[in-house]
Amino acid sequence: MIKLDNITKIFPSKNGDVAAVNNVSLHVEKGEIHGVIGYSGAGKSTLIRLVNLLEKPNSGTVTINGTELTALSNENLRKTRQKIGMIFQHFNLMKTATVYENVATPLKLLGYNKEEVKKRVEKYLEIVDLGDRKNNYPSQLSGGQKQRVAIARALSQEPEILLSDEATSALDPETTNSILDLLLKINEELGITILLITHEMSVIQKICDGVTVLENGEIVEQRSTIELFTDPRHKTTKRFLDTISQRKLSASLISQLKLNGTVTSLTFIGESAGEPLLAQVIEKFNVKPNILTANIMELKNGIVGNLILHLIGEPEQINASLKFLNEQGVATEEVEGE
Amino acid sequence: MGNFIEQWLPIIGQAVMETFQMVIISLFFAILIGVPLGILVVLTRPGQSLENKFVYQFLNLVINIVRSIPFIILLFFILPFTKFLVGTTIGVQGVIVPLVIYTAPYLARLLESSLLEVDSGIIEAYKAMGIKTHKIIWSVMLREARPSIILGLTIVTISLIGATAMAGLVGAGGLGDLAYRFGHLRYEVDVMYATVFILIILVQGIQSLGNRIAARLKKD
Repeated sequence: MIKLDNITKIFPSKNGDVAAVNNVSLHVEKGEIHGVIGYSGAGKSTLIRLVNLLEKPNSGTVTINGTELTALSNENLRKTRQKIGMIFQHFNLMKTATVYENVATPLKLLGYNKEEVKKRVEKYLEIVDLGDRKNNYPSQLSGGQKQRVAIARALSQEPEILLSDEATSALDPETTNSILDLLLKINEELGITILLITHEMSVIQKICDGVTVLENGEIVEQRSTIELFTDPRHKTTKRFLDTISQRKLSASLISQLKLNGTVTSLTFIGESAGEPLLAQVIEKFNVKPNILTANIMELKNGIVGNLILHLIGEPEQINASLKFLNEQGVATEEVEGE
Repeated sequence: MGNFIEQWLPIIGQAVMETFQMVIISLFFAILIGVPLGILVVLTRPGQSLENKFVYQFLNLVINIVRSIPFIILLFFILPFTKFLVGTTIGVQGVIVPLVIYTAPYLARLLESSLLEVDSGIIEAYKAMGIKTHKIIWSVMLREARPSIILGLTIVTISLIGATAMAGLVGAGGLGDLAYRFGHLRYEVDVMYATVFILIILVQGIQSLGNRIAARLKKD
């Protein structure tokens, strides 16, 4: 549905050219929710603006639903954009217009007739749960409600794709959740493909099928969300995961614990998360596991559990128990100390 | 007091009418020229949709040049142009041309700053929705800038009233002319006071009206 191929965007600056996005390829299937995560300055905002060509790439192609946007004339690009909805961190609503007008104005400007405009505005305000706030002005709404208006505005053009530019970054955690639930609902019920950018791992965790980790304009990791959560490879990905789970132990503590035994991180996926494997390990081998941290995360497409164990016992017994755990589908990784 | 009113009311009334006439006609043409000019300056700015360095710099230069000339000098400086355009250099007709030339660039400048205040995110959102640039200007930028534009128009109107005072020099009449001819040249101090009083009321009234409309349009 969305295909970015070898996209590069260079911004000139005083100290020479800066590649905000460097040779990035990104494919999102129809009906998928894909997240791009990165720190500030990683090039996320530029990347999402390259999808609807608000920024023109220096090289590479953008293809949406089989149409190569980078090859279109301005006029055709403008028409194609009507099928790509976009929401923003700061909502971008007209302050001087009511909720109703904010949704209706783009439709009117696109030439829909009066009845159609009215029908659509009412339908989509209902979907975002704001049917009763039609005559309010944005200043009378909370942040979450403003974002709902912006979502209704984007949906009212009945797009196939929704681009979300840090849509929850200005919202509190509870409101963030309600907006994420709404995005999931839009994805499931209206079948809209969503590409979002964020710096919050919890957003990826809750709604994304696939993830791209961006750093300095380049992709450092790009996989399904489950794979990324169970087997993060790049250090930036690991740092993002540390932000949502208590996985981090101080290096000095680990070194101290390693004086007798090993410190191992176990990752359980799906089925294995429910089984009492640890009890079996104690039964079968002569090791004493001590749980240092434990957490379980619900992803959009499954459950991932993570345990950090201090295993006390003879090295061969420890190795045998780790092998057993691997056989049961549990990923193990030794945690490094100082 | 009654005597004063009886004697001067028709003359002052006439002057008020002339002032109104000059202000309204000049304002009308100044808007006609200044609004497109202001929009063009915004659109040709670096980074805007019709980015054009040459046009942008040229418009800026023209606006700055006209804005550097005091009205009293402009009035005489463009006499040949006025004559060419309306066939006369005196009377209300003769003064409208310099008033418009004086006001339009000022209005354009104020409009420019009003439009630049509009949140660029909103414009980006409408661009992303595939809406034509001229529709974005009309229905989004001008709409969002309305409160600020009204305040700008208020300032322009008041400065126009000030400029019409000098119109007497080309025989266009008006309140300023009245105060000058009778109040200053003929030592009729009462007339001067009355004129100043009317001008104060007028300016106060326009400013309050402008503030009130702007506040009503502003929704945050």
